[in-house]
Amino acid sequence: MTINPDEIVFFQWGWFKINSTVFFTWLVIFLLTFGSWLVTRKLSSEGELSRWQNLLEVLINGINDQIREVSQQEPGPYLPFVGTLFIFIAFSNILAIVPGYTPPTSSLSTTAALAICVFIAVPVFGITRQGIVNYLRQYLQPTFFMLPFNLIGELSRTLALAVRLYGNMMSGTIIVAILLTITPLIFPVVMQALGLLTGLIQAYIFAILAMVYIASASKAHAEIEKKGEE
Amino acid sequence: MIIDWYTIIFQIINFLVLVFLLRYFLYGPIIRAMDQREQKIVQREEDAAEKKKEAVQQSQAYRRKTEELQEREEEIREKAHIDAEKEKRGMLDQARREVEETRRSWEEAFEREKESFISELRRRIGRQACSIARRCLQDLADSRLESLTWDLFIRKITDLPPEERKSLQKALAAGDYKLVLHSAFEPAEDKLKQLKSSLQQEIIPDPETNLELAVKTDPSLVCGLELAVGGYRVAWSIDSYLEDVEEQVLKDLEHRGRGREAKSGAEYNRASAAHVDNGEEVSGDG
Repeated sequence: MTINPDEIVFFQWGWFKINSTVFFTWLVIFLLTFGSWLVTRKLSSEGELSRWQNLLEVLINGINDQIREVSQQEPGPYLPFVGTLFIFIAFSNILAIVPGYTPPTSSLSTTAALAICVFIAVPVFGITRQGIVNYLRQYLQPTFFMLPFNLIGELSRTLALAVRLYGNMMSGTIIVAILLTITPLIFPVVMQALGLLTGLIQAYIFAILAMVYIASASKAHAEIEKKGEE
Repeated sequence: MIIDWYTIIFQIINFLVLVFLLRYFLYGPIIRAMDQREQKIVQREEDAAEKKKEAVQQSQAYRRKTEELQEREEEIREKAHIDAEKEKRGMLDQARREVEETRRSWEEAFEREKESFISELRRRIGRQACSIARRCLQDLADSRLESLTWDLFIRKITDLPPEERKSLQKALAAGDYKLVLHSAFEPAEDKLKQLKSSLQQEIIPDPETNLELAVKTDPSLVCGLELAVGGYRVAWSIDSYLEDVEEQVLKDLEHRGRGREAKSGAEYNRASAAHVDNGEEVSGDG
């Protein structure tokens, strides 16, 4: 039994190889893009809505509301990044119910890649919002001596983000695999249903945490703005 | 090795590509559609608000119009009432006038009737008085009055004016000298002879002409005598006097009655004017 989907290689040509993680990621990307294109090529702005448009609107509205709640800011600039995190992780996890499919999120490489994206996005959004000086000054808060701890905190939370998702998804897949060998009937189905739930919860947690980190990086600026207004 | 850096880099690129694709295919169109819908809803709400405002204004305008109409209706009703009152008053006045006229004409007719009755009465009274006088004279007539009458009659014949005399002569000649004497009483023989002789002497040119004298008694000639020859007549009687008197009396009565009529007419006019005044007062109260 292979724990790491990165090791399942479908195609290799010299140093270039396509493993299971990359392949299923592409599959997810294709499905999401194609589905979005199908729905959004004929959107209606009045009258009756198509069922799929309605679903997508509910989804995006929900994400927007969540971003607004967490960041206390307009969701516009954050939606593509945070929304894509949620949709990608959730869709990858939901597809786990399909036999033969290995969720890319159960590879530490994928979760690490997502965590690195967040790790980079936080300073990018922070600097965009409040400028580089203000952003960097955050690491000296409340005193200069807190700089190492701030840096460690930044790194550790990225690591935690990656490992949390990886652990949950991998464990889910592995538990089902183990249960299949012990009780091949019925019980794995329950575990798979549970896996769907944890998959969605993990997607939600990942996206929300990412938003919290980004928000905390741009929040200081917002507070300064508020003070200035007062 | 759990972490494969090759895969990590691949996945980072994959994720960024996905972000780009979803941004282009999902978020953009959906957000745009939602914004458009929101705008349209806002627009529709604004339209609805405007229409509501318009409707409120219109309803107010209608209410105002309805009130105006009601006011006008009341005015018209009042005017109609006044007109009806005026019409009623006019009709009442006319009816009153007509009644007045009818009464007046009736009163005039009555007055005329009365006048004619009174004048008739007057006339009768005059005649009656004359007939009483006549009867008195008839009753009083005796031989002395008779002889006086004869004397007067004979003198009248002898004193006839020349034209009269001529026409009498003609009548006698035409009637073969036949005469008819009407007398109120039986004439005495000597008086007849005297009449004959005076006629033969005074009137007839030839005294030898034989005169035939027929006598007829007629008591209606009050103490009177009448000589008729053909179409010519010579007469004397108290009756003719009496007739003159009667005529005079009737004329007097008539004259006096007319004077009274004029007087009573003036009184009547005054009275009717007073009536009209009263009528106007009454209508003024209504």
